[in-house]
Amino acid sequence: MTALEQQQLPGPRTGTRRRGSPLGSKWTPYFFLAPAALFILVFQVVPLAQEVFLSFTRTSLLNPTHSTWVGLDNYTRIFGDAEFRRTLLITLIYVVVCVVAAVGTGLAVALLLNKGFRGRGVARALVTIPWAAPGIAVALIAIWMLNPDYGIVNRFLDTVGLGVPGGAILDSPRYALPAILVTTIWQLFPFTSVVLLSALQAVPSHLTEAAMMDGAGRWSTFRAVTWQSIKPTVGLLALLMTIWSLRRFELIWLMTKGGPVGATETLVIDLYSQAFDSKQLGSAAAVGMVGVVVSLIVIAGSRFVARAAEREAG
Amino acid sequence: MRLPHIGLTLRIVGVLVVLGVAVFPLYWMFVTALSGDSELFAAKARLVPDLSQFGVFIDALAEGKAATWLRNSLVIAAGTTVLSIGLGIPLGYALSRFSFRGKVLMTVVLLFTQMLPEALMVVPLFALFRRFDLLDSLGGLILVNSAFVLPIVALILKGAFDGLPREIEESARVDGARPLTVLTRINVPLIAPSLAASAVIAFFHAWNEYVFAVTFIFTPGMQPASVGIAGFIGELGTPIQTVMAVSFLFTAPAVVFYLFVQKYVVAGMTAGAVKG
Repeated sequence: MTALEQQQLPGPRTGTRRRGSPLGSKWTPYFFLAPAALFILVFQVVPLAQEVFLSFTRTSLLNPTHSTWVGLDNYTRIFGDAEFRRTLLITLIYVVVCVVAAVGTGLAVALLLNKGFRGRGVARALVTIPWAAPGIAVALIAIWMLNPDYGIVNRFLDTVGLGVPGGAILDSPRYALPAILVTTIWQLFPFTSVVLLSALQAVPSHLTEAAMMDGAGRWSTFRAVTWQSIKPTVGLLALLMTIWSLRRFELIWLMTKGGPVGATETLVIDLYSQAFDSKQLGSAAAVGMVGVVVSLIVIAGSRFVARAAEREAG
Repeated sequence: MRLPHIGLTLRIVGVLVVLGVAVFPLYWMFVTALSGDSELFAAKARLVPDLSQFGVFIDALAEGKAATWLRNSLVIAAGTTVLSIGLGIPLGYALSRFSFRGKVLMTVVLLFTQMLPEALMVVPLFALFRRFDLLDSLGGLILVNSAFVLPIVALILKGAFDGLPREIEESARVDGARPLTVLTRINVPLIAPSLAASAVIAFFHAWNEYVFAVTFIFTPGMQPASVGIAGFIGELGTPIQTVMAVSFLFTAPAVVFYLFVQKYVVAGMTAGAVKG
């Protein structure tokens, strides 16, 4: 290690290092991170590698130690399958609607809560509740509220004349996905609201005031000042919502199991039913890998957009 | 001067609508738990809870199954919290205070693993757990839940360490304190709010976890509440009031704890992701 590199090392310099003690040498960081790294290796990295391997094999859940190498067969098969293409489309709809609606609602609620008023702290806390509620409990109450015979949602819709015939929203290929979307967004909007609220509070008030003084209207002030300063937060939230939506499982699984007739089957639901209903671990893994690759593309794309925006700003 | 009043009224109405939407489903869970049979199925639903029915909560717990579920969830969640914080503190500290070979790789792995769905990892982990005899045990769930929540915990704690001035620990190091002593005696107490937030995230990650629990646990007496409550779906034997009462008991702790630390949780979760 050269002297120059040592200059850049944070923390105490060589003179204060206790020689002979393994805790103060260049091994110190490894000593701190080794247990966690080992843990992540065993429970995340190795299993993921196994899934990658499985995706190139034919393996049955009933005899999982016996795999036959089939190359890209699983991938060519799923992409040739019209049902899988529909799964991709449903995943796309689910993710896009979740992102747009969760961020949009979050921004509206944040703007509503941004002005000081008495009881704002309480309002902010109460708004957080849906996000804190466990997914299992949310699924359960949603199923009960959507109960065809006694659910409050159907009673309400009947009263205002918008009742779904038969009332079985979650059994309807047409209404099941919207119902799941509403439930998901209900659970997400508190998070986006609270994050955007703190971003709004960081907008320098002298800038908005100056814009107003110069005669800018509310909308143009919002666009020129507020939006510019919260844009990075909006981008970050859109990324988070995308990744969370791509991996969401319990809520959909418990509410519809991907049904009726595949109307709510996203990639993760497809992967789980391939593994545990069809017992095809190979194609399940291939479906999972498609999801992972989609997430990676989204992350890479978002970094690209963020860099381009930085260049434009700088 | 009438316009501002209209604006204010609209704002108040808007806030009330948002609060109503946010709170109603859980309120409805509570009302349903406290309704009589005839009220549940009457043409006109009861909209306010009947507090005289409060015994339903005590009955739900006394009946035994629900109490066992909640106890199992508590064990899993407490174990996950201790383990993931115990591993996350040194990892976050190493990422914050040292530059070393492999640091970028470690950070990328931490960010990458956060996007892996549990449903994808459940098959290989099942095989691993069978080999090491970890199936059907609460300890096995503690291990796997800790692995899944560790990345976010470590990144939150790294952010917290980043925010601490270096001078304090540098002077302690000059005085001859070892790195481990510096970490445990000086730094950890200073990041208490972030620790609390990470602990809440880790605890309720495990408390809510369903996929691994439903796949790895076979003995009914070992089931956590997430699995037990999900088992009510499609099952007709249990009265809906009991179902809602147990769900409410399962939900209430999560809501209460998140309310206390929500500010730090939100800051930590976004900070953990910003670095991506």
